[in-house]
Formats: sequence, structure tokens, C-alpha cells
Amino acid sequence: MDQSTLTGGYIFDIQGFSVHDGPGCRTLIFLKGCPLRCLWCSNPEGIRPFPEPLYKETKCLFDLYCLQACPYKTIKLTGGKETPRLEFDRDKCAHCNTYDCVKACLTGALGQGGYFISLPELYSRIERDRQYWGVNGGITLTGGEPFAQPEFTTGILKMCYEAFIHTAVETCGDIPWNHIEPSLPWLDWIFFDLKHMDETAHKLLTSSSNRTILENARRLAVSFKGRLVFRMPLVPGRNDSDENIRATAEFILSCGFKELNILPVHHLGREKYLLTGQTYMLQDLEMNAREQLLAIKDRFIELGVSCYPGSETPF
Amino acid sequence: MENSAESINYYGHKPSETVEDREKKLTPSPRANKARELYFGAKSSTSMEFPYWYTRRWDELDGEIPVIRRAESLKAGFEHLTPVIYPGELLAMGKASFLRGSYPMPWLSEAFFMASEDKLYQEALESGKLTADTFTTLGKGGGNVTNSSGKVISIAGKFGVRVEEMPVMLEVAKKWKNRSVDDIGHKYEQMVPAYKEKEAIMRSVICMFDSGYTLPQGREVINYYYPLQYGIDGIIRICEESMNEVAGFPEMDRLYFYKAVITMLQGIKAWIRNYAEEARLLASLEKEEKQKAEYTEMAERLDHISSDPPRNFHDALQMIWTFHVAVLNEDAISGLSPGRLGQVLYPFWKRDIDGGLIDRGKTIELLECMRIKFTEIDCFASMGVVGGVLSGNTFNNLCIGGLKKDGTQAANELEMLILETGISCETPQPTLSLLYDEKLPEEFLMKGIECTKAGAGYPAWVSNTVAMEFLLNNYAHEGMQTEEARAWSIGGCLETSPGSWMPLNLDGEIHWIPGGSAPATSVGVHFISLPKILETVIFDGIDMRSGERIFPSHGYKLESYDELWQGFKDYFSRAVHVLTLTNNIQHDAWRKISPSLVNSMLKPDCLEKGRDLGQMGARYNTTFNVESCGNTTLINSLASLKKNVYDEKNFDLETYRKAILENFGYHTAQETGSYSLVDQKPNEHHSEYRKIHRRSLDAPKFGNDDPYVDALFKQWEEWFCEMTHNYRSLYDQPLYACQISVSTHGPMGAVTLASPDGRLSGTTFSDGSVSAYPGTDRQGPYALFNSATCWNHSQSQNSQLNMKIHPSVVKGREGSRKFLELIRAYMRKGGFHVQFNIVDSRMLKQAQSDPDKFRSLLVRVAGFTQYWVELGKQIQDEVIARTEYEEL
Repeated sequence: MDQSTLTGGYIFDIQGFSVHDGPGCRTLIFLKGCPLRCLWCSNPEGIRPFPEPLYKETKCLFDLYCLQACPYKTIKLTGGKETPRLEFDRDKCAHCNTYDCVKACLTGALGQGGYFISLPELYSRIERDRQYWGVNGGITLTGGEPFAQPEFTTGILKMCYEAFIHTAVETCGDIPWNHIEPSLPWLDWIFFDLKHMDETAHKLLTSSSNRTILENARRLAVSFKGRLVFRMPLVPGRNDSDENIRATAEFILSCGFKELNILPVHHLGREKYLLTGQTYMLQDLEMNAREQLLAIKDRFIELGVSCYPGSETPF
Repeated sequence: MENSAESINYYGHKPSETVEDREKKLTPSPRANKARELYFGAKSSTSMEFPYWYTRRWDELDGEIPVIRRAESLKAGFEHLTPVIYPGELLAMGKASFLRGSYPMPWLSEAFFMASEDKLYQEALESGKLTADTFTTLGKGGGNVTNSSGKVISIAGKFGVRVEEMPVMLEVAKKWKNRSVDDIGHKYEQMVPAYKEKEAIMRSVICMFDSGYTLPQGREVINYYYPLQYGIDGIIRICEESMNEVAGFPEMDRLYFYKAVITMLQGIKAWIRNYAEEARLLASLEKEEKQKAEYTEMAERLDHISSDPPRNFHDALQMIWTFHVAVLNEDAISGLSPGRLGQVLYPFWKRDIDGGLIDRGKTIELLECMRIKFTEIDCFASMGVVGGVLSGNTFNNLCIGGLKKDGTQAANELEMLILETGISCETPQPTLSLLYDEKLPEEFLMKGIECTKAGAGYPAWVSNTVAMEFLLNNYAHEGMQTEEARAWSIGGCLETSPGSWMPLNLDGEIHWIPGGSAPATSVGVHFISLPKILETVIFDGIDMRSGERIFPSHGYKLESYDELWQGFKDYFSRAVHVLTLTNNIQHDAWRKISPSLVNSMLKPDCLEKGRDLGQMGARYNTTFNVESCGNTTLINSLASLKKNVYDEKNFDLETYRKAILENFGYHTAQETGSYSLVDQKPNEHHSEYRKIHRRSLDAPKFGNDDPYVDALFKQWEEWFCEMTHNYRSLYDQPLYACQISVSTHGPMGAVTLASPDGRLSGTTFSDGSVSAYPGTDRQGPYALFNSATCWNHSQSQNSQLNMKIHPSVVKGREGSRKFLELIRAYMRKGGFHVQFNIVDSRMLKQAQSDPDKFRSLLVRVAGFTQYWVELGKQIQDEVIARTEYEEL
């Protein structure tokens, strides 16, 4: 598609004064849509590519104004008198762009997850925030998966880069190379996720093979001129074995990279699974203690990788 | 990625699941720690020594020239204060003979501390003077004596008085009936044609307080120059010489003024020497060598400063403290700010440290002792004033940074140590304000960040540029120029106050030190409840809580937004008009009956002119203001009405009236026992009002960079700041706008019905003046900054932005740097003030349920820091709610 005809994309949040995802104070833009289904995903409302209803059951008083308002009749009352709840036919919701249900809701139980924003609108928002970043600072595209909306991503990165704004992307990597490559000239920084080195294990964790991901990382080593830091979410018992740590370190070094930011996964996103009608699979998982995180960091360093735990990446 | 769209409670970062403590902790020196423990155990106590002797002398001098009578009475009071010195103290003296001592000043007002069944009290209630008291809550913990027990009687909801002193108190109070500033002012204020309207305004709590007899002084910066330069004897000599020049010449009031100052100073000399005597006595009884030596040294120091100027830093600090207390003892005062103390003391300190007479460790110990001394200050006033406005705080604001006389940056090494002791010895007083200027060195600013991060709520960050612009706008006609504008400081919680440069001559070298040069900068029309005014506009002049008519019908059908806005402007102007006139009369009574002498003597140019502050003796006198409360609640309400009634016509105004009267189908805040919107419970009628309530909550809210509502905010600001200039003060100067809520948004919210923005009846208003209503700023800090700066802040004496930041966001070195960037960006954008609570709100909730465990926890309220346990429930709820609203 010709880039000039594409004027925007779908996002689900913009946050100013973010301090953990790149140098300085930054504005984070959360793009909708992701090819992976990671068990621990803390932004499940970013997975589907289009806007969707967010339903907070605890606030619902079952007046059913939404049900009456929905033109497509996608909402059903289920569960009987004892445990009433609303169910949404989310495939149909994906084709809605009026959100009559949200407008009709009087309790705040229904919200709209995601919206369309044009490039000029997004850019003027960035311009506003820019005056508050101070030294360093810039934008970080995250999500969702930014490269899943490649023209939009390239468009906003180019506008920012040409205006001397520092640009960063956080990517899962499971994206066709030709959707990544056009953005590279306009990028200062990439956070690139490595979730598991073993293909089968990767599938179990993310519902997807890691082949494209590893291939893209190797290509970036050749094509990308900015700074790339790998990110590895540590899922206890799933990807923190010494074998995987060694394999990860070997891979990073074999590509010619050396930086890795390890992040303990957390349960903070779990309420949002309910909002989007999804199921959180890691409910009972016990999280890594700080000591374990530091032990893994030491192990990576032993293996020759510059490893930063949590929010300690030097920017 | 750790951030999420839906459940952010805090800017930039979702909190972890464990309660986060504050990051930086230092401990005070053992000496200061011991003093602080003593303070924690002390109760607010009041004694009758000073008022008894004052009143006795006053009656003896019936017929004497008023200013002389006043001076003699003050002298008698000072002379008879029993000196009390605590072991380990490096700075002696206090207001009264208790650690947290204070006393009533019945010559200002006597009715409020009478027993509630007394006739005097009932009369005061009737005239609307005490309505605010009945809607104020005080913190139940800490040093507040909220209930009588054993041999201690609780007065004004906060102070304990010994049961045997009670008869004296009542006797003395009754003596002032029909003679106090309150009573005389009241007699004459009734001559203002619209007086009846004023009473109704006070009863409805549209205005919270009268000005002339409650806290007639304060919200200003003290000036220590004369005692530091000349010593007490030197000032007496100046007065004697001046008397020789004016005796028998026209403007004879000057003669009496000089004579009065001498008399008053003799009282202060005696008071200091009584302390010296006590120190000598303690030294003679003390066995322990070190303590004995300290007492001896203290006695010698006090003797010295009772006559002569200070010889060193320690002398200078004692001198400053003595005169600070002396001013506080002449009037009911809150917000007497030491101002730029680090710059005033620097010449003394520099000479000592270069000469090896003091080291940094000793300096820190002294500064810590000073913090505790300032914290011991209590202000005796009515419950509504102490609780409702001040939250028990006395606002001794110490400012750091800013510019020197020559325009270079003014921060110095002593100020670095002041910041350091603000961390090591966390106490509410003196609170710190950093006068931010682009010229200040990075090292100093980072030290400020470190202190802000420590979590006690100070320093507040205040723009030097905006303040100077305000001063030049408002004082140019009195001769202020750029150079002098640089001498400004914050007086009180956040009142921009004019200053002057004074030539301190030390060893033949001139050091230009800054100090206050205007009287109280926030007197006049106190705290007008903007949401309550809007309520009366909607109900055509009637206070629906009581059913009383406040204003005559405005005559508008309210068929357009412009009519609504015009109705608001009409009523607001009526209130300002009558309150300006009645308060001018009260202040006139004050300056005639209870003229300021101690404070006048200190302020340039009273000594030169031979006039006290009430006779415009100060260099700058344009200091009366109009104060607002609930700005953002007003604007959100206007936006909701504009959208729902006028633009989209979702509901008519009659439907809104009904919803407001029925509180949108919720139980009242008094019923639920919480003043936070989040905790309110629907009643059985809620379903009828759910739609209008939801649409009201969904209407545009200030703080989100939304032009729809920000335009209304700008329109309000530009009209308000300008209209105040149309009214004249007692000193025939134009008024200006002052926008700080202090704590009034609690009690004023308590008497206000539901508002069209969806706020429920009795709940607290928005705080500060450019803060978002708790939880409605959903777009993060940058959007909030944009909204806050949609108007020019230098049109007003101040603007106030309160933010709560979770400790994890600004953690570590990197967090510190980014925190500074955030503040700097707001200052560059034209923001006047921003302050932070760096605290996990879950910790505050724990503290609410288990206050004893959190005796030393400090939080920032609105321009001041206070012990959590000494805050009223209304304000506690509001601080918790500031950025959380998830469950609404």
C-alpha cells in the first residue's frame, strides 16, 4: 500500500512521563495487535488488532442499557439470576465502530479498548509532550506489537526522527522482515524480546515458533545502526533454566550483540484479562524473588552478556 | 512492559503489590532526636500568663494614647512569661511556658473559646462567625487536645488548659466583651448597607472567615535585619534619636510610635533576661559537666543578645528565633515566614566556618534544633481557623534559592545544609520552598530533588520568574523595581510577598540580605467557596442546605450558558463587594485597638517613617486579596452544565436541580463517614439519577488538556484576577487574587450540596487551585501541566498544583534526574508552583486505621506539610484520593 494514503493506526493508550522504556522521560504509545499469545502478557487489551469493548463486571448493575443499544446484538446476559454476567461476541464487536454500548452504559462498567488516531493527531500529541521531557527523552512505540501496523509505525517514527526526537520500539520480533526494515532508518533504539531459545518451548509459552524472531535478530545485527537491547521476561520454571540461559547468551553473542535486560514477569495485568474476556493462565505461578533475578543476572554476566535486571538498564 | 491502560493509580507506573516505603532516610543527631521525642509527647497547651498581665495593664492605662497603651500591655505580658528551658536545647525561648504553648488573645476575639452554652458564644454563632467551626474536623491524634479529660479542659477543639486556669480565662475573656477587635469591628461593620447579606454569606459558609480579628497578621515574611545589625539597644537608640527629631512637630503619631517601640523592646529585653536567669539557675543545679557548660553558655548568649547585635552564627540564630517568637506573641498569626533565612544568616556562618569557629556537623545540629523549635509553634485561634484553614499548621515557610540583588543566583552552602537537615530531621516546620530559577546550579537543584524525594512534602517548587512578574505588576506603583522584586519570598503557605535588600554591615563589609517589607499579604476577603456560589446561582440566591436566602434573585432564566456565567459573576461580585467593606472595617478596628509593634519595628521602613504597619509604615502596602476555594470543582461543574444542559441538551436545568437536591441518589458524606467521593454509597433512589450522574462524571474535566473545559478555566482566571483590582483595601490599594485552598476545601465541601460535575454532597472539593479533582486527570502529568498553564499565572498572587507520585517512579539516581526534568518542564511552561506527596496511598490508609504507629509520618497538604495524625478526616480522605479513583 502506498504510504501516503495511510493516515493513522489503532492504539490503546498514550502515556507521558514514562521512565523505564528508554533514555530520559518518554511518551509511550501502545499500538493494538500482536501475533503472539504470551501466557504472562500484561496488556491483553493490546492483543486484538482493532478496538474492543472492555467489560468490568464488578461495576455492572445489569440495567442492560448496553444490550438494548447494541445494533449488532452481540451482547448476551448469561449466568442466571444468581451469577449474572454479560458475554460479548467479540468477533462481531471487532467490526463495530460506533460503540453504542459504551455510550449507553451508566455505571462505568463498559469502556472502549483502543481507538483510531491519525498521524497528525498523534504527532501533535507528541509535540505537546516533548516540551516536558527535558534532556534526553523521546517516544517509545510498544503495544501490542508496533510492527504489526508497519506503515503507521514507519510513518510516526519518520516524522519524529526528522524532528530530532529520539525514537524507540519495543518488539516481539515475530514479524515479517519486510514490515520491520522500512522503519530502521528512523529508529534510534530497539528493545527486542527473546522469550525462549527452544522452538517447542517457545510455542508452548507464546503459541508461536521462534524461527522468525531469531532470524530477524540476526538480520538486525547487520542492518540496524542504532542501539539494540534484548529483553527477556523471566517466567519461573518456564524459561529460566540454566540451559536456556546459556542458549540465550550464546545466541546474543553469536549475533554480535551483547546487552540484555531481564524482567521478572508479574501478575499486575491479570484483572485486565477479565475486561477483554480472556483467561489468565499463570494465576498460580509464584514469581521470582529479587535474589533469583540477581543470580540469573550474574550468570548472564559470567557468560559474557551485559545483563541488566528490572529497571536498571543504563540509558 | 509494566504499564497498562486501565488500572494506573499513579503517574507513569503501576505500583507493585507490596507497600512501598519512602526511599531516602537519614536520622537526626541524638540531640535533635531527643527534642523531637519530647515534642511528640507534648500536647497543645495554653496558659493565661500573658493575657492576664496584658489585660491588667491595659485596664490600668484607661485613657492613655492607644499605641502606648498597647506597648505597655505587651511589655507587661512579655515580662511575666515564665521561662522554661529544656535539657539539650541549643536555642532557648518559646511562646508560652509549655513545649507546645500558646495563649488566647481576647483583645482580638473572645467569644469563640467560651463554653458553647455561654451567651457570648451563642451570639457569635448567630452572626455566622462560628458556622465554619461546626463543620470542621480536627485530627484526633498527635498533640491535639480534642476532648477534656482529668484536670485538662479542651478549648476550641485543640488546646488543653488546666482546670484551675479556666476561671481566669473566662474572666479575662469577659473583660474584652464590647472592647475586642472582633466586637468593635462587628459594631461598625453593621453600618455597611449590605451587611445582612454578609451575615448570610458567613452562615452559609460561602466565605469561611472574617479577616480582621482572626489572624490579622501573617502570610508575610519577617525581616530580621534591625536586630541583627543594631541589636536591641541599637534600635532603642534609633528610636530615641528619632523622638528628638519629631517631638512637637506635625504628624505627632510618630512620637508615640517611637515611644511605644522603646517600651515594647524593654518588655522583650526583660523577657530574654528572664530566660538568661533561668539558664543560670539550671547551670547552678546541673551536675553533668557538659550540660552545665551549655546552660552557662546559653545564659551568656541570651544576656548578650538582650542588648547587643550577634557576634557569631549561633548568636544570630538565637536572635532570629527570639524575634520570631516575639512577633508571634503580639497577635494571632499564622504564616509568619522566616523567608530566605539561609541567605540572611550566610554572612555570619561564612565568617564562623572560615574562622574555624563552627563546623558542618555543629551547623547541622543547630539547624535541626531550629527545625524543632519552629515545629513547636502553635497558633491559638478558633477551631474553624485552626482546623479548617490551617490543619494546625503555622506555615513558617523558609525559602531557598532565587536570585541575589545583582541578579546572580543566590543559593549557597548553608542552604545545602538546610536541605540536608530537612531530610535528616523531618518536621512540619519550617516548611521549605525552593525559588526556582534557570540560573540555579544543578547541584543545588539535585539536592532539592533529594529532599523532595525524602517524602516530607518539602521543598515546594516555586517559580522565581512568575513571582517577580506578579510583584512588578502589583507593586510598581509603590516604586518596586526589578532589583527589589528579586528580594521576594513566600510568606505563609504560598503567598508571594514583597521583600527588600538590607545592607548588613559585618566587619566593614556590606552584605545585601533579603527580608520582608510588607505587612500581611493575605488579608481581606478570605476563602470564597466557588462551588457554593454556583449552587446559589442555580437556586436563584437560596442556600438549599438551610433554606436561607443569601442573595436577592439574580433575575436570569438561565437559558444560556452565558446567562449562567453572568449569574455567577454577579453573585461572586456581590460577595467580594460586601466582604471587602466589612473586612476593611475590621482591620481598621485592629489597627486602632491592637496595632502591630514588634512586627512593625522589624519591617522597613516603619522605623524610618515613624509609623506602624497599620499606618502604611511598610515600604509596600498593596497586600489585601480575595481568596478562592474549589476552583476546579467550579470549572468542572460549569463544563458539565455547559455540555449537558446547553450544548447537548441532555437534561434541563430543572432536572439538575432535582438531582443536586437528591444528591444523585446517594447517601450523604456525613452518613458514610468519609469525605472522599470514592467511598460514597448509593441509596434506594439511585437508579433514577444514574444517567444524569454518569453524564456529569463523564463531562470534560480540567487537567486533561481538553480545550472545552480549559477554555472555561482560562475565562474564569482572567475575569477573576482582573475584577479583584476594582476593589480597594483599607489602605486604598487595589486587591489581587490569591488562589490556595489550604484546608478549606474540606469544611467548605462539607456544607455544599452535590455539584453538577458529579461530586456528591458534603464531599471535599478539589484542592489547590490548578490541581485536577482527585482521580479525574486521566491523561498523565503532561496533560495536567498543559491544562494548569492555560492561563498566565503571574496575574495572581499564586497558583497551586498538588501531585502525588508513587515512590517507585522516581527511584534511584536516574529517577532523581527525571524528576527534576519534570519539575523544570512545568516551571518553564509558566507554572508557578508544584509540590508532591511521594507516598504509597496504601501506607496512608494503614496510617488512618493505626495512627499510633505512624506518629511521625508527614504528608503534604496544600502549601504545607503536616503530621498525618493531626489532620482532620476530611483532608486525610482527600490526600488519599488525590490521584486514585479507580472504583468510582
